[in-house]
Amino acid sequence: MTRAFLALILSIVATPAFAHDIASAGGFLAGLAHPVFGLDHVIAMVAVGMWGVFLRAPALWLLPIVFPLVMAFGGVLGIAGVPLPAVETGIAASAIVLGLMVALAARPPLWVAALLVGAFAIFHGYAHGKELADDANALAFSAGFVIATGALHLTGIAFGLLARWPAGRLAVRGAGGAIALLGLAYLSGLA
Amino acid sequence: MTAVTDCAQILLPTNLLPLAALGLLAGQSADRAFSGTLLLFAAGLMVGAIAIAFAVRDPPASIALLALAAIAGLLVAVGRPPLPAIRLALAFGSGAALMLNVPPQAATISVAIAAQLGTGLAALAALGLVGLLTMDETRNWQRIAVRILGSWIAASAILTLALRLVR
Repeated sequence: MTRAFLALILSIVATPAFAHDIASAGGFLAGLAHPVFGLDHVIAMVAVGMWGVFLRAPALWLLPIVFPLVMAFGGVLGIAGVPLPAVETGIAASAIVLGLMVALAARPPLWVAALLVGAFAIFHGYAHGKELADDANALAFSAGFVIATGALHLTGIAFGLLARWPAGRLAVRGAGGAIALLGLAYLSGLA
Repeated sequence: MTAVTDCAQILLPTNLLPLAALGLLAGQSADRAFSGTLLLFAAGLMVGAIAIAFAVRDPPASIALLALAAIAGLLVAVGRPPLPAIRLALAFGSGAALMLNVPPQAATISVAIAAQLGTGLAALAALGLVGLLTMDETRNWQRIAVRILGSWIAASAILTLALRLVR
């Protein structure tokens, strides 16, 4: 039944292949690819997932539920053209902070983690919102974009689950450190 | 356009998103609430079809569908069944807006009625299927997955709604 459910969801998010211009097939795939081609976004999203593993339940499953919603709020600010200062700095800072949290296996209170991740989600959403184009495929694009973001979180969670083993824990924390260094490179303009 | 191509409009993301969100919401609720949601959705479909027959032109149906998908998706993400009145209002509104968003393009009345009938049945079947599948997801991780889906639907709908309203 779960397979049937997944198949149904995939069929829902897929853009129908009409022969004429009801909707072109490009929207969903373009949205899916959009967050994946920005390394600064990718590392932050993966770090959110990895940190979730260290934070454990309920943060582990709350983050993938809350993050897209807060990111959408940031996207609305970007679409509306509401000025938000230092967006790129905020995105680079998200990689540094989230990477450090993973590297240190930090376990702050849930509200602190939610506040941090939520604030960074606004920066990421804002940047993407400014780039969204209003056309016939806007919804398919948005769905692809949101699903890709969620998939990056799940990738981070899957990788973070390696932390159950001592060697895996070292690898995950090392990856967190690498993400923080990459964020630093973005912030300093080296990357 | 034939009745079949008219019905195929229901496969557009704008129409499928509220259906999926409402189905998830109905499936999260109890069995009895599920049948009530289906009934109100069917009533909404009929009201939408009647409005088209009375030549209601260019209603903001796609905007309404996105807003309804966003609300239903948010409620699914929250994970607690809303008040029955809210769920039933969402079902009725989604049905009416859905039908208004897919007006038949057929040249003859008989083909147009067939298209509306097909669209309504397809929408009901899709809603019922999503609801039944959701009710079947009883394990903890499956319930979380449903909530994540609701969050994704709401986020997609909110972004598109902002695009449509602002730009």
